[in-house]
Amino acid sequence: MNILALSLILALGIYALFSKDLLHSVIALSAISMLSALLFTMFRAPDVAITEAAVGAGVSTVIFVWAIRHTQRRDKEES
Amino acid sequence: MKTGERIQIALTVLLCASLVVPIMLSNHSWPTQARDYLLEHARSDTGATNTVSAIYLGYRAMDTLGETLVLLVSVTGTMAILVKLGKEQSDEESISFSLAPEKRPTNRLRTHLVETVASKLGPIVLLFGFYVMLYGHISPGGGFQGGVIVASAIIFLALGTDVKSKLTNTLVLSRIESLSFLFLILASISGVFFESGFFGNPIKSVSSLSANFIILLNIIIGLKVGTSIAVMCIAMMGGSHDH
Repeated sequence: MNILALSLILALGIYALFSKDLLHSVIALSAISMLSALLFTMFRAPDVAITEAAVGAGVSTVIFVWAIRHTQRRDKEES
Repeated sequence: MKTGERIQIALTVLLCASLVVPIMLSNHSWPTQARDYLLEHARSDTGATNTVSAIYLGYRAMDTLGETLVLLVSVTGTMAILVKLGKEQSDEESISFSLAPEKRPTNRLRTHLVETVASKLGPIVLLFGFYVMLYGHISPGGGFQGGVIVASAIIFLALGTDVKSKLTNTLVLSRIESLSFLFLILASISGVFFESGFFGNPIKSVSSLSANFIILLNIIIGLKVGTSIAVMCIAMMGGSHDH
């Protein structure tokens, strides 16, 4: 279960790095936060899990989406 | 991909590995002295069952004041940038995620789906945030965590409801923020006058609940964190009513 969650986190992180659509990257980051919150709960650190879920999946996603809305969503097709 | 980028990535991976791998491979046992001391004394010293709360509001309350100051400075900086930005692009048409028939004049981020989910979820999340904040001394959580959850709830309410309530008014929220920081400083220095030192517990003998000062600090910090993050996010979404 730990290995599964950690490998999912790794895969989502790589996806967030290489995705051309920044909104997809933000959703992947949010999913990473949820998975790490799950991991923290399994490792018996519930207060860290609460913080991770609230900050990572809640507030930072709002801030990222706001930033994308005011810049540009898609990467330029180059290289 | 260019060779320069490849070299950069390889160097980064190598550096991270050289930092992490020795920790994972070492057999050296973790230091246990502080842990054992806290397990034994934290509850009787501060009255908090949650040892994390006992550390950051009992033993190391000074660090908590520093963290609150860091948050204050960062929110102040963000607001300064946002206010300037709002003046420049106030009438600029921005890209919206909502579909064309769903567009509202009040907030372009608002769609029917967001409205329905956020307005129903907001009050429940708000209640949970206050629960986490108020019971920080006996259950996992505390001022910071509860405050962030309260902030999410206020953002939900700001996104979901069309009614202009006092809870989503940035003027009211920033007043609560300033007041709670004032109360935090007052609470920190009040211990000096009761012979318990800076951040000492001035109300230890008032009630039978020995964690009362931690509860007070949790409420103050929770209000401070919650309102400051909420003000920041509401101002970002263009919903500030004051200036």
